[in-house]
Amino acid sequence: MEMLVNTVRMIDNDQAKEYSEGDNNTLTEKLAIGLINPEDFKNLNLTQSLNLKLISNFGSVIIKALQDKNVPLGTINMPVSIWANQITGIENHELLYKNIKVNVEVTRDSVLGLKELINSIKEK
Amino acid sequence: MVSERITCSGCSLLCDDIIIKSDGLYIDEVIGACLKGKERFDQITSKNRILNPQIKKDGELQKATLDEALEKVIKIIKNSSKPLLYGFSTVSCEAQLKGIHLASVINGFIDSNSTICQGKVLNTSKETGISLTTITEAINKADLLILWGANAAESIPRLLNKVLFSRGKFRMTGREIKTLIAIDPVKTASFGVMGVRDVALQIKAGKDIDLIRVLKEECCVADSIPDKGIAGIDSNDLKRLLLHLTGAENGIIFIGQGLLNSQNGSNVIKELLELVQLINVKQQKGRMSVMMLGGHYNMVGFEHVALSNYGKNQSLQFSNNLLVETSDTIVSNIEKEDFDCSIIVGTDPISHFPKHLSKKLMSKPIILIDNKQSATSYVADVIIPSCITGIESGGLVYRIDHVPLNLKKIINPPNNIFSDEEIIEKIIEKLV
Amino acid sequence: MELYKFLPKTNCKKCNPKTCMAFALALLQGKVKVDDCPPLLEPKHKKDYEKLKELLGSEDGKEKELTIDVDNDLCDGCGICVTVCPVNARYCPPTLSGKAPDYPPEKHQLFQIKSGKCELLNLKQCRRIEAEGRERECRVCETYCPREAIKIDYV
Repeated sequence: MEMLVNTVRMIDNDQAKEYSEGDNNTLTEKLAIGLINPEDFKNLNLTQSLNLKLISNFGSVIIKALQDKNVPLGTINMPVSIWANQITGIENHELLYKNIKVNVEVTRDSVLGLKELINSIKEK
Repeated sequence: MVSERITCSGCSLLCDDIIIKSDGLYIDEVIGACLKGKERFDQITSKNRILNPQIKKDGELQKATLDEALEKVIKIIKNSSKPLLYGFSTVSCEAQLKGIHLASVINGFIDSNSTICQGKVLNTSKETGISLTTITEAINKADLLILWGANAAESIPRLLNKVLFSRGKFRMTGREIKTLIAIDPVKTASFGVMGVRDVALQIKAGKDIDLIRVLKEECCVADSIPDKGIAGIDSNDLKRLLLHLTGAENGIIFIGQGLLNSQNGSNVIKELLELVQLINVKQQKGRMSVMMLGGHYNMVGFEHVALSNYGKNQSLQFSNNLLVETSDTIVSNIEKEDFDCSIIVGTDPISHFPKHLSKKLMSKPIILIDNKQSATSYVADVIIPSCITGIESGGLVYRIDHVPLNLKKIINPPNNIFSDEEIIEKIIEKLV
Repeated sequence: MELYKFLPKTNCKKCNPKTCMAFALALLQGKVKVDDCPPLLEPKHKKDYEKLKELLGSEDGKEKELTIDVDNDLCDGCGICVTVCPVNARYCPPTLSGKAPDYPPEKHQLFQIKSGKCELLNLKQCRRIEAEGRERECRVCETYCPREAIKIDYV
């Protein structure tokens, strides 16, 4: 399914990133997420245990989907983080953080932690 | 026990009314600061603070002394011909000046976070002109506030408190006389402060430019609002928006990341600034101005320091210790891989940049000067810890509205941790 | 309204507020008791009487107390409640220009932001208790909280 990704700043997630009170796990919990409309959640046949795989022109990332009724249909809101930046890129010499077209797949694969993610970037 | 009002360095709003209780060694209580500001003060003792210089040996970061770390830094710099300096938006202006000086000594390229954030607006304004305003002006005079692509309630928590809810000198009734218009594709927390007179516009994602173009036309010819509306906003709301825009005595448009980092960000900004100028020309008694919302507390400072000392506000390239003309920015420079080592000061580009940029950044040695662990600190080759500006060291900083403020030193930094300014000074001393 | 359904709806004028609608309101505010309605005590209204007793629970007749509940998990310390509260505005001049009130807090001050979270200092000063007339209907802190962390309720 085609959707749009917007990176957003939300205070809880932002604080986790900038100051990471907790350890690696809370970072993943707080930042490797995407907020989607409950209807989209239903249409994708998602459940709590399944994750979302987002594939854009620039890369792909696996995130956990959370429901939020304020998000418009067909969009995913992701907190600004290294996870969101797996699918962002450059257009006309400018960084593109908003309205990124992605292909969404439901997957059983787990979300990568921060260190695993950095290693995966290094290797590619 | 002293309790005094100090300036908080948690975000770019730099609230100067925070009360702290401190005995000179620790900070006991923070009163008045929002969650962001409080976290900033908590950082002194936080778990992820870096307290020791670290050097990468055999692929692992290991503790080292400051001298060892500095030696390694000198070694990396001496081996490189095109160093890249980036960050400088969370340090004082003094440290920024030293940073540019370091760039001129090592013939490097220096840029700040501003380039990919609110600096875009300033760059665009060179063509179109810009009318800025200050927070105090907003408190005392503003009667129209437009949040465009900005969720101020969560990114700069106290902004709405200050500009929208304060009574001010000429707006004694406060909230009732100030109108808030929020333009955003998502119903954010900022929509929660809406009153009856306010206008909430849920625009279709990425269609801001269409809306601005329509508004521009309307300002010139007037009354031909499209019946169907535009970009997901119906014609009634458009009429209200237009009425507010042209009727406000003192309006402020807050430009958020939603406008800055979308497709054709620069074009959108250009159109918006032109719209503001148009309104100002047409309007007889009032004026419209813009304010850019950035996150880091001294993002504006770099522009001022660089412009007043070197004549260029961002993206400075040095050669033979002199400033040379360049059209490169930090993004194009990393994209072209036109660097062979990077010095990162007080920021976290590995998690802020898109994947393929951070990959290129990671492939070259990274020197990090920062006070907290981040994605960048995992991949850095040398880490030098610095103290927290605004708490453990003072300095001059610029607020989002381009007003300089002084940060005070409240408590002493831990042993063997120096301010960014002192660290850069040490590097320059060892180099020369 | 829930309560009104179970009243006799005859407007017999035997009780103090005279009409059934007013009686329902008074019941809700705890100003009168169920037993104050004479027709209700008659056998044919027994069912409604029991239902009303059940709805009002054991607090029947007690003056309901005002609570302002601040959800600490939601609050992000923006300070809008501090600035917008009319009581704070009267007694703490710095809040007029959006600044944090002085410390230690003034004795009338209602809200304060401490360690990044909102703290309720002095419920007794709230307009919902102190003021007269329309001012008593003040709900600004609840209305304008962007995170919906403040709830005004009567328990």
